[in-house]
Amino acid sequence: MTAKRYIDIYEAYDRFYEGERIREDQWDYSVVPVNASLMKEKYDISFGKDIIPTDPDLCDRLFLAGVDMLLTTGFYNTDLGRVMHITEEELFEGLKMAPKKLTLGEGKDKRKCKARRGNSRRKPIIQGGPTGAPVSESIFVPMIQSYAQEPVVDTIVSGVLNTVNGHHATTNTPWEIRATMSEIRNVREATLLSQRPGMCI
Amino acid sequence: MSAAGRIASDLTKHGLKPFDAHECSQLNELKIDMSGLNMLAAWGASGDIIMMEQMPIFGGYTGDVEETTICDIATMIASFIIFDCDIHLDGPIHIRWGTTTTRETLKIAAHAAMALDMNTDFLLANQYYSLAGPCTEMCLLETAAQAITDTASGRELLSGVASSKGVIQDKTTGMEARMMGEAALATCGMEVSHVNVVLDKILGMYEKNYNRVPQGKRFQDCYNVKEVTPTDEYIDVYDGALKTLSNCGIDL
Repeated sequence: MTAKRYIDIYEAYDRFYEGERIREDQWDYSVVPVNASLMKEKYDISFGKDIIPTDPDLCDRLFLAGVDMLLTTGFYNTDLGRVMHITEEELFEGLKMAPKKLTLGEGKDKRKCKARRGNSRRKPIIQGGPTGAPVSESIFVPMIQSYAQEPVVDTIVSGVLNTVNGHHATTNTPWEIRATMSEIRNVREATLLSQRPGMCI
Repeated sequence: MSAAGRIASDLTKHGLKPFDAHECSQLNELKIDMSGLNMLAAWGASGDIIMMEQMPIFGGYTGDVEETTICDIATMIASFIIFDCDIHLDGPIHIRWGTTTTRETLKIAAHAAMALDMNTDFLLANQYYSLAGPCTEMCLLETAAQAITDTASGRELLSGVASSKGVIQDKTTGMEARMMGEAALATCGMEVSHVNVVLDKILGMYEKNYNRVPQGKRFQDCYNVKEVTPTDEYIDVYDGALKTLSNCGIDL
């Protein structure tokens, strides 16, 4: 059956708003773990000793278990305390619409990110950076530059400026806004100093 | 971060551009808050590239590796179907060690990636949290093991490295990203059965050190900050890691 429409963020909010109420601790300690165990049993999921699976049938069953997990469980909004659900039709139509490629960055520094399909000979995009780790203001630019100047690095993931002008960037305060903007300006400066101004950050 | 902080990142000519990765986090497990929805609404309306992030916890609400993998797959599907992201940033993390490079978390990441790779066109990324700090062979081996795993299981983007679990100030450097990239390049096209043998050997080299982890050095202690070059000591450590990886069956 064809889905009436694709879910967007506004539709998701409306479904949360009208969804079933449930306590967060029930979700965490009962709904999610019980459903995950049920799916493991229903789809006969058991891993061997290999890190990377080589059995395609196991991979297919795992995929179906994940699909069933989302359809059965739904998704929880912690602020509203409610659960939204999607239908099987919406899920499978959505799978077809998911992006298959992406362009990151601009100019000669842009990179194409495309589905690789198994262990393709095409290398994955390398996003280098502190990955959210805390970084001192005094060394922020050279540290990011240490990633941007690596030829194997395609894009940058930032760290967190520990302070801005000596102030802590407390969440939901003006200092958070300033720290965010300062952090991005500094990352851009590091890419400029590495002669790669168009890198995706 | 708050939605206001994130949305402010697009402001001014120095801010994020639509071609930059706008990162929004889900909560563990299968949860989101209004802050996340508001970020997604703003970025979606601006036509920005959206990278949805979530790090499933092995040993947390979902328990064992199989259950955590099933939940991870559901999480990634939700990122694309409900939240309309362009790429999902995964990161299965170990509840005891706080890292993504353990045997169990690599197994979760690889199984989830392969299951989705075989059944969808999703663009999947993974992030790196190592136990050891920069300028140590263990940190580089942890990084290589995950890069090999992610590349061989079909991931499209590798993001890292938050060395020292990403919690110690200034303990991250570009050399770890060099290792991530070089290990990925060396893995491309390898037979998966051979990759599994290599991974088992590399893991065996560092798993034994979990209770006596080398702390490593801060960026300013293993780089010449003015010239932005690694110290000779770090180059020696890096060369040592390359030799160890070669002995494990992969030449970078």
